[in-house]
Amino acid sequence: MNAIEVKNLKKSFGDLQAVQDATFNAESGEVLSLLGPNGAGKSTTISMLSGLLAPTGGDASIMGHSVTKEPEAAKASLGVVPQDIALYPDLSARENLVFWGKMYGLRGAALKSRVDEVLEVIGLSDRQRDHVGKFSGGMKRRVNIGAALLHKPAVVIMDEPTVGIDPQSRRHILDNVKELNRQGMTVLYTTHYMEEAAELSHHIAIMDKGRIIAHGTHNKLLKMVGEQTRIDIMLNTEADKILSAWQKIDGVSKIDSLDGKVTALVDDSNRVLPRLFDAAAKADVRITSVDIQEPNLETVFLHLTGRALRD
Amino acid sequence: MKILDIAFKDLTRSFRSVFAIGMMVIAPLMLTGLIYFAFGSVSSGTPSMPAVKVGVLNLDVLPADAPLDVTLGDNVRSMFFDESVASWITASDYADEASARAALNNQEIGIAVIVPQNFTERFLSGDKDVQVLVISDPTLSIGPAVVQNMVTMMVDGVSGGGIALETFMSRQQTNGIAADPTQIPSWIERYTTWYADFQRKLFHHPDQAAFVVVAPSASDTEATKPVQKMMGLTMAGQMIFFAFFTGAYSMMSILREDEEGTLARLFTTPTERTSILTGKFTAVLITVILQGLVLMIAGYYAFGINWGEPSGVALALTGQVIAATGLGVLLIAFVKNSRQGGPVLGGGLTTLGMLGGLFTANMPNAMPAAMNMIANFTPQGWVLKSWRMVMDGQSAVDLLVPFAVMVGMGIVMFVIGALTFRKRFA
Repeated sequence: MNAIEVKNLKKSFGDLQAVQDATFNAESGEVLSLLGPNGAGKSTTISMLSGLLAPTGGDASIMGHSVTKEPEAAKASLGVVPQDIALYPDLSARENLVFWGKMYGLRGAALKSRVDEVLEVIGLSDRQRDHVGKFSGGMKRRVNIGAALLHKPAVVIMDEPTVGIDPQSRRHILDNVKELNRQGMTVLYTTHYMEEAAELSHHIAIMDKGRIIAHGTHNKLLKMVGEQTRIDIMLNTEADKILSAWQKIDGVSKIDSLDGKVTALVDDSNRVLPRLFDAAAKADVRITSVDIQEPNLETVFLHLTGRALRD
Repeated sequence: MKILDIAFKDLTRSFRSVFAIGMMVIAPLMLTGLIYFAFGSVSSGTPSMPAVKVGVLNLDVLPADAPLDVTLGDNVRSMFFDESVASWITASDYADEASARAALNNQEIGIAVIVPQNFTERFLSGDKDVQVLVISDPTLSIGPAVVQNMVTMMVDGVSGGGIALETFMSRQQTNGIAADPTQIPSWIERYTTWYADFQRKLFHHPDQAAFVVVAPSASDTEATKPVQKMMGLTMAGQMIFFAFFTGAYSMMSILREDEEGTLARLFTTPTERTSILTGKFTAVLITVILQGLVLMIAGYYAFGINWGEPSGVALALTGQVIAATGLGVLLIAFVKNSRQGGPVLGGGLTTLGMLGGLFTANMPNAMPAAMNMIANFTPQGWVLKSWRMVMDGQSAVDLLVPFAVMVGMGIVMFVIGALTFRKRFA
């Protein structure tokens, strides 16, 4: 059974088409990552799934409940972890969880025991009486996640939950996601960190400019790149000076620059690299570092869009 | 149930906010307290003005043939040593004019009263130039005026007695009745005793004086506790102003929740948007009710304010709560964010408060007629009007019209605001 079904979902804001005919599914018990750069339409998509935004077209369902026709039933099966911390800073961790539990219909002993369990899961039992406003960014993130788990939802949507936190908290959150999935929850995880998507996901949907441009397992997506290799090159000057020359070199299939780093997709790095150096020398551009990478999701994105996956 | 959960959460947050508590309770009490302390001594009926230090030099001696037992100088002196003025006049005797003037120069006393040596004799002989000398510290104003007034009244009283005696003797002579000269000292003594007693009662027990002035339309409360009433109206003005501020400020929590992301998160839960908005409106309503009750109780115990009959108070408070909540919802519905909310609330509510007469609540007659008319177009004006009526002792039935206006205004503003919110968060 599909826990999440998205079919031809559309959302427009005036002339801007934020999501265009998005179609993908997530089976029950799997982790599906929605990977894409900022502005790709990931947050708009999950806003429609969680009932925050009404779709302009198409539909989506959570555990068989249409988000447009049965929004309350769909929301009852769903836990949403927003990208930004959405908690009450002047309430304690426990008071926050109790409040959000009540909003999901929990009451009495069931609520109390569930709050205790969640505090244990997020590792904040000993700080439960402290106001959330006094917590570190990582601790807030953990409470932010905990608030979505109180009613044991069948589906959890996590919108970039690791943005801007320390490595230790990030590790804690990734382990939480794995544990939730092990317990049978379906997780829709949006991120622009390809390594997170690779580590967590059974399936990955790559999104760009409002469209789903690829959907499959990690291995299946990597096969789209074939035998190509990614080369990251740093220069002592602006990339514009050399980029057009490098694009014309035989063996370079895609090339893009971002933040001073040039990323190229090449058929055979041993053959292409000397040509890149020759062209740079002719243009009086000095290469300061070269990094040859095995194909990964960033390579896939470059392959599909001709652009580097922006952080 | 979720409505109450949302309301309880909002109330918890409000009562944990120092700023909110300050604006809800502390600020109105402090402002009223400042006014109270400015007029506090008057309101309590026990003036706390520092005692006037009077030095008395009585050089008067009783003439051998005077029809009196004591000199007029003794009467003047005893007036300043009387126990009835002991709380505000500290009198001391001086043996000569030099020492009295020296005490004045050294500011040991503020006023020196000098009765000349042959004052009684010259007074009885009809010498119009005889004078009691009152010398005062030039930096003082009230004390010397009071002392001079006391001396003048005493001398006028004795003069009046003399005139009365002459008239009495003349009438007796005209009617052929022989006056007994031995009775004169006794008459003068009885008159002097009566006059001193009259003056004492007039100053210190006006209710026991021979003449009591009562304003024909004044109730007992107005006649006996005018300052308490003034304080009550001042407190009512403050309470109304901050009630409207609290209504709007509490409603601003919806903007803060929008900015904090918790409102969006609430919308992702299986909770109807109507319930979320109703929960927040409920919190505002409860906050304004609690604020009103706290301020009324505090006003009663701290400033002795008599708010009026319970039924009238209940109507006025209910109207205040509905009007304040309605205006709060309306104002915030048109504010984009909490940053914009501060100036809008501060400016808007202060302007409406001024137009409604909240800052001149204790002197309604000071407002021009046009301003009183404008006040009728503000909810604050109607709330103030209802409190004035309750504190004037009018019944709940009398309050029905202002109550209906307050509720009507409140509901209209609430509906417009709520519909705007529903559209905004649809």
